[in-house]
Amino acid sequence: MKDGWLRRLRDELDQAWTVAVKDVRVYYLTPPMIMFGLLLPFFLFFSFSIKREIGAEVGMARLLALTTFFTASSAGPVIIPMERRTGTYDRLLAAPMSLATLLLGKTLVGAFFAIVVSAVPLLVGLIWLHVTLADALLLLAGLVLGSLTFSAFGLVFASIPAQSVGSIMMPSTLVRWPLLFISGIFVPLAEMASWARTLAYLSPLTYTQDLMNRAVLGTGYLNRWLDLALLPLLLVLFLVVAARLHHRSRVLGY
Amino acid sequence: MNHAIEVNNLTKYYGDLLAVDHIGFEVGQGEVFGFLGPNGAGKTTTQRILTTLLEPTEGRILINGHDLAREAYPVKRQMGLVPEESNVYTELTAWDNLMFTARLYRVPRSERATGARDLLETFGLWEKRDVKAAEFSKGMRRRLSIAMAIIHRPTLLFLDEPTPGLDAQSARAIRDLVRQMNAEGTTIFLSTHQIEEANQLCDRVAIINHGRIAAIDTPERLKAAFQRVQSVEVALEPDGAALGESLAALPAVTTTVKMGDKWRLYTEDPAALLPQVMSYAQAHDRRVVSLSTLGPSLEDVFLDITGQQVGTVRHETGEDKPRRRMMGGGR
Repeated sequence: MKDGWLRRLRDELDQAWTVAVKDVRVYYLTPPMIMFGLLLPFFLFFSFSIKREIGAEVGMARLLALTTFFTASSAGPVIIPMERRTGTYDRLLAAPMSLATLLLGKTLVGAFFAIVVSAVPLLVGLIWLHVTLADALLLLAGLVLGSLTFSAFGLVFASIPAQSVGSIMMPSTLVRWPLLFISGIFVPLAEMASWARTLAYLSPLTYTQDLMNRAVLGTGYLNRWLDLALLPLLLVLFLVVAARLHHRSRVLGY
Repeated sequence: MNHAIEVNNLTKYYGDLLAVDHIGFEVGQGEVFGFLGPNGAGKTTTQRILTTLLEPTEGRILINGHDLAREAYPVKRQMGLVPEESNVYTELTAWDNLMFTARLYRVPRSERATGARDLLETFGLWEKRDVKAAEFSKGMRRRLSIAMAIIHRPTLLFLDEPTPGLDAQSARAIRDLVRQMNAEGTTIFLSTHQIEEANQLCDRVAIINHGRIAAIDTPERLKAAFQRVQSVEVALEPDGAALGESLAALPAVTTTVKMGDKWRLYTEDPAALLPQVMSYAQAHDRRVVSLSTLGPSLEDVFLDITGQQVGTVRHETGEDKPRRRMMGGGR
């Protein structure tokens, strides 16, 4: 019995990995992924940072949080409607794996993409701008946890039963952009009004930005352990919500 | 022995719309089962429920003895699905598409390559194994899609409209494969509009209409039960093609349909109609090029049950003759 469950677990993890690798090969270089996942965070960063006096360290911490957030949360809303349109999503749903496994695979895809894209500002900062990290391990933890959490966050929107990327990106953008302004990226948490800070605590991006600040600048507003604990909890919460919405689509027949 | 599929009281509502209305049927192990129905009859909804893509509102489904609602995992491992749309990954090569599916279905590593090679050779795609599916023709994608559905050797294969839009060679290859898989023990659930295909391939067919099973039996028994849709096919010269209205006026004719250079005259009494046709030809100085009596085809049965028209060109008999074919009778 125990062997059966272990084997099933191994199978499901391998299937999640198989889905993720396939998605990397099929979708990473598609125009919507490049636009929403690669270019957009950089555009946003430069839009809000040019002609403002910020140091390299602060800029790098912001850009890392931004790319992690936007890139990871774009993967699901780009890939899943494309798969629905071509009918390949049915292939995945009919395969012998749980919905949780499928969503885990899709989460990994966004997370990989975000980690790879985040490596660009990281390497530029370290090599060209000679930024020194205050806590490299914390940076790695923040990148990995943030990428996974935001990728799952994107899956919540991707659960909207639509076949066009635009139909999902619109509500997704409606939620993601306001988060950008209340999460301590452009206005540090310490400088926010108390009501704004209360709002900031509702945003998952706040905890990643705080981790990036602590990892790059050496200072943060929140307790690092709180950041590290909340991100996995939010990851689970987003996966549960995405799974429920997916299930609802299957019941309603969308 | 378990049936391959047992469906009891299956019901599906989309909001207030009743798409599948408390249907029940069984599919035997090793059977080729045809599921026929017009658009919107509930055919695709039923198949999507059977393949776990959709949840029923009500009802119980057993696949190879497993309750689909509670034991979907072992069921999914035993079934293959070929949807109407060839859902291959166009950015992957034929080989990579098969390898992906094999891994997803947990085909042992040692069997993946040989299985993929066998299938690619069977479907005439071996030479194209390293070509991206984006460059494939519709028929090639269809064949690849089927290969992906059977790489794990399913015991139950769902085929949704497998041949429409394909050239004759590809369509025949797919039909041959269905026969071969069935001969090797695979149960086939064939959902199709292609009545003749169902007639050729299926041991039994179910006709679904307005969400209900209107008829379920072997093709030959269904035809035998619809003797009222017998017909006489006649070709006359000269100007045979223009004689539709005159032929429709013959007393024993209920409906006429133009079939190329011939006319098919539907009747409840072929024996009475034959002399009427001969007399008509003689009286109007026409030569009878060919004349044959036909029993009801599966298409006739289907059209009769679903209340659709026979053929696209139709000449009804006059209002004074109450001989209109009974439409939409169902069972």
